[in-house]
Amino acid sequence: MEMETLVGQGREAINMIIDPDSFQENVVGDLKVEDESFGPGAVIGTASLNGEDVTVIANDAMAFNEKFPVVFAGVIGMEEAYKMALAVYNSIKADEDKPVDKKRPIVLIVDTPGNGPGKVEEIFGMNKATGSYQLSLAEARKKGHPIVAMVIGRAISGAFLCHGLQADQILALPKQFQTMIHVMPLTSIARITKQDLERLEELSTTNPVFASGADFFYQLGGLEEIVEQFDKMREKIISHIGEIRNFKSAGQYEKTGPWGRGLLGAEREGRAVRSKVIEQMQKEFDSVADKYISA
Amino acid sequence: MANWDDLQKSSFLESSARERALGLVDKGTFTEFISPIDRMSSPHLPVLGEAVEFDDGIVVGVGLIGKKPVFVVSQEGKFIGGSVGEVGGAKMVNTIKLAVDMYDKMKAENPDLPEEKRPAVVVSFETGGVRLHEANAGLLAHAEVMDQIQDARGKVPIIGVIGSKVGCFGGMGFVAAATDVIIMSEFGRLGLTGPEVIEQELGKEEFDAGNRALVYRTTGGKHKYIMQDCNFMVEDTIASFRDQIAEVVKISIDEMEGLRRIGSLELVEEQIKLVELAAKMQPSDSKDVWAHFGNEKPEELTDMPYDEFMKVVKRYPKQS
Repeated sequence: MEMETLVGQGREAINMIIDPDSFQENVVGDLKVEDESFGPGAVIGTASLNGEDVTVIANDAMAFNEKFPVVFAGVIGMEEAYKMALAVYNSIKADEDKPVDKKRPIVLIVDTPGNGPGKVEEIFGMNKATGSYQLSLAEARKKGHPIVAMVIGRAISGAFLCHGLQADQILALPKQFQTMIHVMPLTSIARITKQDLERLEELSTTNPVFASGADFFYQLGGLEEIVEQFDKMREKIISHIGEIRNFKSAGQYEKTGPWGRGLLGAEREGRAVRSKVIEQMQKEFDSVADKYISA
Repeated sequence: MANWDDLQKSSFLESSARERALGLVDKGTFTEFISPIDRMSSPHLPVLGEAVEFDDGIVVGVGLIGKKPVFVVSQEGKFIGGSVGEVGGAKMVNTIKLAVDMYDKMKAENPDLPEEKRPAVVVSFETGGVRLHEANAGLLAHAEVMDQIQDARGKVPIIGVIGSKVGCFGGMGFVAAATDVIIMSEFGRLGLTGPEVIEQELGKEEFDAGNRALVYRTTGGKHKYIMQDCNFMVEDTIASFRDQIAEVVKISIDEMEGLRRIGSLELVEEQIKLVELAAKMQPSDSKDVWAHFGNEKPEELTDMPYDEFMKVVKRYPKQS
């Protein structure tokens, strides 16, 4: 194998996944982004995948946003997040009248180290930009669009929350391709939590709850499948789109998305207490619910 | 803990999560779920030799405002910065879910369910986001909260209140942005990246995290009110927050949509205009933006008492 990593190569990954030469950048339904300087770190557009129209949203780690200098190397800044949200809302709009099984899939290609961490970003509200994109994905998912996220590189903390974790299903290349999935590197966790780094390193080989890597996220139910090879990405994404459509056609929306991954976390035993908390709360609520309903 | 009547006069800023939860709903109506008696603490902290809290730093439950069931989530900043782990995250996620399920059930039984009976959710934020000791589980819980917020749209209003010491940052910053309504005091702070991280990224000359006034100008209640990122600003007592919540829950669910900052194509388009302004202005300080919105002496706003501020302040002229 020539290329051992796709980190920083979101555009190349798009070409490896979609039908040959089918990508129309900056076009989704009625949306046409004509200003090339708008959110250059986000690549959006429409492609054909297995003969059907899909919306593609990826990071371009080679781009630099001249207006917002903290945005480079795949960082999702304000423009990038809103551009991504525009792609999603316009996908919803374009398929408003289509039945659930005909809603266009949305493919997220994930390689991002974070959200824009600047002063201007805080003054104008970076939190709204990432929040917008997440709500748009959640809405599209609940309206029937199958959403698959493919982690090809870095899927870090808030940026992964915004670009990835609202998908129906999440796939990732394993760590030998330099993929990184975590909130913070262990060195930073050690510094902030005042824990001994060596001890953390030792624990992180077995404890999925703070360790870094796709296999640990898998145990927690944080992703559905690890895709072993680059050349398997395309067929895996196609088959997951089919699987998601089956769930949605059967009305089983709770089987995918963040809630579905909660169930997966219990099944894979990585998040065992979550379901106990939920069960106990339900019990406690049921014993008092009438009082509040009939108040 | 102080009784309900005394709590009303208490500083919201100084109040614990449980005091806020009790005091924000009608007297004697709050029922806590998974209270400390249940001893559902984090299984991940002891592995690292860290102390646990029996409520995992978050108080959740249901109370009433009038006849309306009001579900409450209240975060405790004194316990590991109000951070969200597996247990606390599940408590938050499931509180919203219980409210939505309750609404669905009430609506099925009574299609003409009066507005005064429609459940609501209040989230009292005091958090820096993900708990690093159990970072991956905390991160996944954040995604679940966003998912539940979208489920609640058009059914159960979600009201964010921010006026506690830690503020509301990290992933919880966008959770707050995603709520229907935000109420803050001038002591509340809301953002994504905390001040220390900005200093680390940009250098001390660009952003001095130790400069309290600068930090408040960038993320504090007054600034967020001017930007329309917070809908209502109130004084620092539990009663002021509670009165504002009681007013907000009278708004119909359809009108509530008009209070949102994000969550639709139209709102994204409006926010993009603000980002255009950010690109054009490249403000070095929030005061530049306040002046742009017509506040002629922006420096005077910072220390201005509440009543006067509310009288003179000019806010971003929202279009939708």
